[in-house]
Amino acid sequence: MSLGGLILSLADNKQLLGLRYAEWATRAPSLEADIAAAAMGLDDLGHSRVLYGCLEPLGEAGHLAREADPGDYLNLPYFDEPWSSWDQFVAANAVLDTAFTVMIQACVEGNVEVLRSRLRKMLSEERYHFLHGRSWFRAGIEEGPLMEAWRQALEWFGPPDGEVVELYRRGALALGPAELRAGLEQRLETRAPDLDIDWATWDPRRRRSRPGRIDARTFDMLRGLEERRYHPSGARGQAGPGR
Amino acid sequence: MGSGGVSGPGFNRVHGRAREYEVFARKARVEPLRLVGSVVAPDDDLAMAYARATYDEERWIEMAIVPREAMVTLWAPGEEAE
Repeated sequence: MSLGGLILSLADNKQLLGLRYAEWATRAPSLEADIAAAAMGLDDLGHSRVLYGCLEPLGEAGHLAREADPGDYLNLPYFDEPWSSWDQFVAANAVLDTAFTVMIQACVEGNVEVLRSRLRKMLSEERYHFLHGRSWFRAGIEEGPLMEAWRQALEWFGPPDGEVVELYRRGALALGPAELRAGLEQRLETRAPDLDIDWATWDPRRRRSRPGRIDARTFDMLRGLEERRYHPSGARGQAGPGR
Repeated sequence: MGSGGVSGPGFNRVHGRAREYEVFARKARVEPLRLVGSVVAPDDDLAMAYARATYDEERWIEMAIVPREAMVTLWAPGEEAE
């Protein structure tokens, strides 16, 4: 995986994280949490747009033709399906969102100018995602989503001898997998669980071990097909809302 | 994250042990901070996240939150100033 491939993975994950946050904008435990879910969703969707904009300067074109297979998206399994519990939201907010932020920090402090300049603002916005996730995490969540989020965060950082290590050695990233993990642990004020990761089954392009893909409705939305249902020219022969 | 992290099923509704925070902001250095609203949260971290999410629509140069209980009331509506 090139640096562009890593940024595409970050962009896809940020986009899906933003969508999953937004799905909870009317389902969170309080009105304030609803608003925070919507705001964080908007932030992460915005971040994904900035990250996609960095791909051309990095020579990455893997995102330009992805109309047929939802498996082309480089998102983690955690975002394949809508979350069914608030604990899943909190685990993603506390662990995965923070893992992405640590990677963004590694990019901002690396030697690739387009990333140094364009990603810096994300760090200040992500501060509030972190405060939100940490506070809810401290209130306590179920172990299942938490362990899954940790596993996928560590898998996403990559193996100890993978390309993230090479990008770290070249200076493109200021942190390697071990330093990314340590940074995540430091922010969350806890040690990562002792997980046995089988790197032999790990997909270096999608940065995940488990097969799978985003659900059909989300995939249609990403391609604009859901929107067409509500557009007069695309609603011919369909009974849309208000018709 | 200390001893936090894992609990039983379900989640704690924030209002069970929350307090109210007043949110202040200003758009320019020459302006005083003014009250723009309030949020309810169980701790300062979440209150900051909620205040930013709820009131960040405008271009504030400064935003601050204060626990409602930290405010010392001299007099309230319906009372006369001493």
